[in-house]
Amino acid sequence: MNSLMIELRKEKRTGVIPVLFSVGILGAAYAFVNYMVRKETLLSLPLDPMDILLTQLYGMIMVLNLFGVVVAACMIYNMEFKGNAVKKMYMLPVSVPTMYFSKFVILTVMLLFAVTLENAALARIGVVEFPHGAFDMRAVVAFSLYSFITTMPTLSFMLLVASRFENMWIPLGVGVAGFLSGMALAAADAALLMVHPFVIMLKPAIAMSAQPDVLVAVVSVVETALFLGVGLWMAKRLQYE
Amino acid sequence: MEHIITTEHLTKEYKNFIAVNDVSIHVRQGSIYGFLGPNGAGKSTTMKMLLGLTAPTKGNFTIDGKHFPQDRLAILKETGSFIESPSFYANLTGRENLDIIRRILDLPKSAVEEALELVGLSEFGDRLAKKYSLGMKQRLGLAGALLGRPPILILDEPTNGLDPSGIHEIRNLVKSLPGLYDCTVFISSHMLSEIELMADDIGILNHGSLLFEGSLHDLRQNALKNGFATNKLEDVFLSMIDKDNADRKQRAIL
Ligand SMILES: Nc1ncnc2c1ncn2[C@@H]1O[C@H](COP(=O)(O)OP(=O)(O)OP(=O)(O)O)[C@@H](O)[C@H]1O
Ligand SMILES: [Mg+2]
Repeated sequence: MNSLMIELRKEKRTGVIPVLFSVGILGAAYAFVNYMVRKETLLSLPLDPMDILLTQLYGMIMVLNLFGVVVAACMIYNMEFKGNAVKKMYMLPVSVPTMYFSKFVILTVMLLFAVTLENAALARIGVVEFPHGAFDMRAVVAFSLYSFITTMPTLSFMLLVASRFENMWIPLGVGVAGFLSGMALAAADAALLMVHPFVIMLKPAIAMSAQPDVLVAVVSVVETALFLGVGLWMAKRLQYE
Repeated sequence: MEHIITTEHLTKEYKNFIAVNDVSIHVRQGSIYGFLGPNGAGKSTTMKMLLGLTAPTKGNFTIDGKHFPQDRLAILKETGSFIESPSFYANLTGRENLDIIRRILDLPKSAVEEALELVGLSEFGDRLAKKYSLGMKQRLGLAGALLGRPPILILDEPTNGLDPSGIHEIRNLVKSLPGLYDCTVFISSHMLSEIELMADDIGILNHGSLLFEGSLHDLRQNALKNGFATNKLEDVFLSMIDKDNADRKQRAIL
């Protein structure tokens, strides 16, 4: 707990918290605006209104989240490398894996915040705009959780990459490359492609139904844990160069 | 006599190059130990090994009876250190930087002001560390090492980048430390003339090997015996290095 507080203090004046905070706000605003503008077209689609609400708007929200996660992960380690602060940390009685884990927790909580905000906006649209009885709160909650869980592999992966490279352009480049290759591969059906964390993240965005895919969710959790495990293990070894 | 830092045959090899070669040093408790050597002698590498920043290839060391890596946290808790270039969070002020260290070490709030005061940074405590001048960054690094009055200080060229009065000031500060509270200082430098003014004991390193270890008095005796000029100790140091370099060349030719 103490190390989490210390980590938060280090975040001061970096963009880590504001970036994910803005992503949440922007995502929510986008949902409102987009729905208002495209209301007629959206509702005339031959789909269940709940599916329309959750999946048709998620594409752009997902891109925002992805952008936020990539940038925040890069920044949360860049500040350690910038003034060579991380060297001082290695000379202090702190556990390096704990520091890594605290950063993971901060990013996760901020992402959860953003996702909650975005889905609260969607829920509000549903409550206000939908004909009586068409809105299903349980579907919103399930989809929020689903979109959060499918974003976690990317977050876990990006933190790992960011912790390894002092030059911020490398993890940023990896993020962009991940996004582009994810876009190219997401539509393919091969389940094996899900080892690619960005492909997982894109899955809910390209699905036509808001019904969570259990396999995708399970793979997400496994990958998140895997990348986190590797990151912690590497953080432990790093003291010995 | 009690030794607080000892190394035994400490060696660090990089791919095809030996940075630190079989170095055994002994730092007495409560003393100031000057670690001397020209550029690339292996001073920083030795200190990095003591702090666990890099692993020794061979040999081992003890700090206050503790061993690495099993006692890493305990060693780092009682050792204040400053290695090579200063390190700091660029997005935080000097005071905030020290506060992070203070929280990690679990010290009272007053420790930060005391450290700022010691290095003469109180006035600039609220300026962002990235906006500090080189000398101020150096002082901030030093403050970070002194925070909480650790019993062991490992300082790698702390006067690097300081102006002449700054050098004088920091030298006096370091010199006063063992009197201020019970501590041992292991400090590196290029210049014997600087070290001579504060150190009790001296170790001289060249090309990774320890050429000499002993007190200043021993060094003078040693110089006399070997026909070095004794009026200026700096010359003793330089001719010692020159002689070692010449020997090395000789050996390389053979
Ligand atoms: N990571 C590394 N890989 C390869 N060689 C290294 C590495 N770190 C240091 N060296 C080499 O080890 C030698 C000793 O370096 P070190 O920094 O310990 O010298 P120093 O005595 O501190 O010198 P200076 O007075 O210039 O600070 C140098 O030749 C350096 O190039
Ligand atoms: Mg050095």
